[in-house]
Amino acid sequence: MSMQPAGVFAQSYVRDMAIFRTWKQGAALGFFVLALLLVPTILGPRYVAIANIMLITSVVVLGLQITTGLAGQVNLGQAAFMGMGAYTAAALSSGQQWPFLVTVPLAGLVAALFGAIFGLAAVRIRGFYLALTTIAAQFIFVFAILNLPASWTGAAQGLRVETASVFGFVFNTDNRMYFLILAITAIMTVGAYGIARSRHGRAFVAVRDDDLAAGFTGVNVVRAKATAFFVGAFYAGVGGALWAYYIRFVAVDQFSLFNSVYYMGMVIVGGLGSMAGAFVGVFLIRAAQEILTSVGPSVADIFPALGSSVVFASVNIILGAAIALMLILEPRGVMHRFNILKRAFRLWPYPH
Amino acid sequence: MIQLIEYALNGALLGLLYALIAMGFVVIYRASKVFNFAQGELVVVGAFLVWFFTLDLGLPLYVGFALALIGAAIFGLIIEPLLFRRLVGQSTFSMVMVTIGLLILLRGLVLVIFGPSVRPFPDLISTAPITFGDITLNRGLAYGGIFTILLAIGVSLYFSRTRPGLRMTVVAEDHQIAQSMGISVRRSIAYAWGMGMVLSTLGAVFYLNGKSVTFLVAEIGFAALPVALLAGLESVGGLIPAGIIVGVAQGLAAGYIDPVVGGSFSAVFPYLVMVIILFLRPSGLFGWRIVERV
Repeated sequence: MSMQPAGVFAQSYVRDMAIFRTWKQGAALGFFVLALLLVPTILGPRYVAIANIMLITSVVVLGLQITTGLAGQVNLGQAAFMGMGAYTAAALSSGQQWPFLVTVPLAGLVAALFGAIFGLAAVRIRGFYLALTTIAAQFIFVFAILNLPASWTGAAQGLRVETASVFGFVFNTDNRMYFLILAITAIMTVGAYGIARSRHGRAFVAVRDDDLAAGFTGVNVVRAKATAFFVGAFYAGVGGALWAYYIRFVAVDQFSLFNSVYYMGMVIVGGLGSMAGAFVGVFLIRAAQEILTSVGPSVADIFPALGSSVVFASVNIILGAAIALMLILEPRGVMHRFNILKRAFRLWPYPH
Repeated sequence: MIQLIEYALNGALLGLLYALIAMGFVVIYRASKVFNFAQGELVVVGAFLVWFFTLDLGLPLYVGFALALIGAAIFGLIIEPLLFRRLVGQSTFSMVMVTIGLLILLRGLVLVIFGPSVRPFPDLISTAPITFGDITLNRGLAYGGIFTILLAIGVSLYFSRTRPGLRMTVVAEDHQIAQSMGISVRRSIAYAWGMGMVLSTLGAVFYLNGKSVTFLVAEIGFAALPVALLAGLESVGGLIPAGIIVGVAQGLAAGYIDPVVGGSFSAVFPYLVMVIILFLRPSGLFGWRIVERV
C-alpha cells in the first residue's frame, strides 16, 4: 500500500486520484527527468548506447506489464510482436521512404493487430491454454518473415533501415537517438500510467484477479483480454520500431522466443502490475548483462571451455535464479519491496 | 501412394515422440497443476546426463543409461525443495512463473557445466533403418513409438487405478482440498518432477539416437506443446491419438505443402492445428472440463 507523508490530506476526489499529490513528488520526477536529459553530457558514449537499449527494452516491457502485470494474461509472444513492429518500420522506411513520425505509430498498430488476434482467441480459450497460443505467435512470426517476398522482409538476410529523421533533422548519432528514444519512451510511459488508472486498466485488474467474477460484475472479459493484448502488442511494436531505427538492421533472430522469456523475467523481477517495476526490472537485468559482458572475458580465462558463451550462460544463471528467488521471497517484485521500505521510513520510529 | 504412406508413417512416429516428450509435461501438470515451461530444458538435462554417464565416463552403455535415469530422477526430486516448497499454498500463477525462471536457469547451467559444443550421443538402439518393402523407418523412433504407447497405457492406469496415482490426481484438482484431505502436496509435486525428468530422459534417448546433443535440443519442448494441448493437459492416454494426429498432419505437410510454399510450413502447421482445435474444444480432446466457480 502506498502511504502519504503525515499531513497530506486530499480534500477532493480529483486531488486524491492525482498522479502528483504533493509538490515534492512533482519535483522528484522533475529531477529524474533532468538527470535523464543529462546522461549524454555526463556519461560517456558507451553508457549512452546502453541507455538507448534499456529505454527501448523498457517500452517493450511496459507493454508486457500491461498484458501480464495488469490483465494477468501470460504472454510469451512479446518478442514476436516487437519483431512485427520492427519489420513494419524497416520495410516502410527503407522501401517506401515513409517518414519516422508515420512509421512508428503504424509499426505499433500492425503489431497491435497481430497481438489482438491472440487476445481474441480468449473468446474460447482460457487460462494457460491462451498463454500457449502466444508461443504459436512466435513461430508464425518467424515463418511469415522467412517466407514473405524477400523484397518486403529481406527474408534470411535481414533488412537495412534508414536513419530516423523528423522534419529534416537527422538522428544519425547515438546521442541524438538517445533524445528521440527518451521522448518516445516518456510518451509511452505517460500513456501506460494513464491506462492503468483508466476504466480499461481497472477492467484489466478485475480480469486478472478473477475473470469469472469480473464477468459477473459487468466487465466484458473477452473485450478486456483482447484490449490488453492489443495495447501490450502496440507497445512492443513501437519498441520494435525504435529498435529498427536504432540498430538500423533487423533480422529474425533478434526476436526469438527466448527474448520473450527474458522480457517476462524482467517483468517478474521488477514487480508484476507496477509500471515503475517494469523500468526497475529492465534496468537491473540489462545492467547485470552489461556488467557480465565487461567482466566476461576474464571469467572466460578461468573457464576456457566456455569460450564466448560465458556471458550468455552467466546472465541466464543470474536471471533464472533471480526470478526464482523473487517469486519465492517477494512475489510482488523489487518495486513492492521498495514501497515497503518507503513506508517503513515514513512511519519510523513507530511500527504501525 | 507408397510415398503418402511413408510420409504419414514417419509423421506418426515423430508425433509419438512428441507424445513421449509431452508426457513428461502432462505428468507434471497432472500431479501438481504446474504448467511446466521448462520441459525442453528437462530433455536437454536428461540428454546430457545420458551422455555424461555413457560416453564421458566410459561406462558400459546400459549401466550408464541406468545411472542416467537414476540421476534424472534425483534431479527431478530436488527441484521441489529448491523451488516449490515455499510456494505451496500460493497461487498457481507464481508456480508457473517459477518454471520460466527454471527454463532460463537450466539453460545457463547446462552451458556452464557441459559447454556450448556439440556432443555425440550414444546409440542405445541400432541406427540401421527398418525397411518394409519400399518404406523405410527410423529404428529409434519406431521403437520409441511402441514404447510410448505401452508407457502411456501404464501411466494412465497408474493415475486412474492406483492409490498413489489417485492422490496425485487430487493434487492436480485442488491443492487446498488435497492438503485438507491429508495428501501431501509437496510430495506429489516432488514425485511429479521426478517422473517428468525420467520421461524426458527417455524421450531424449529415442529422439537423439544416432544424432548429437547440444543445448539447442530444448526446442523440442515447445514443438511437443501442441500435442499436450490437443490431448488436453490432464490426459495421458489422450497423448497417443493427439500425437498421431499432429505427427501425421506435420508429416503430410512436410511432404506435400512444403515443396509448394517453399519453406518450413510443416514446423508451423502443428500450431495452426492446435489453435483451431482449441477454438472448437477449449480443453483439448480429452482434457477435464472443469466447472469454474467464483
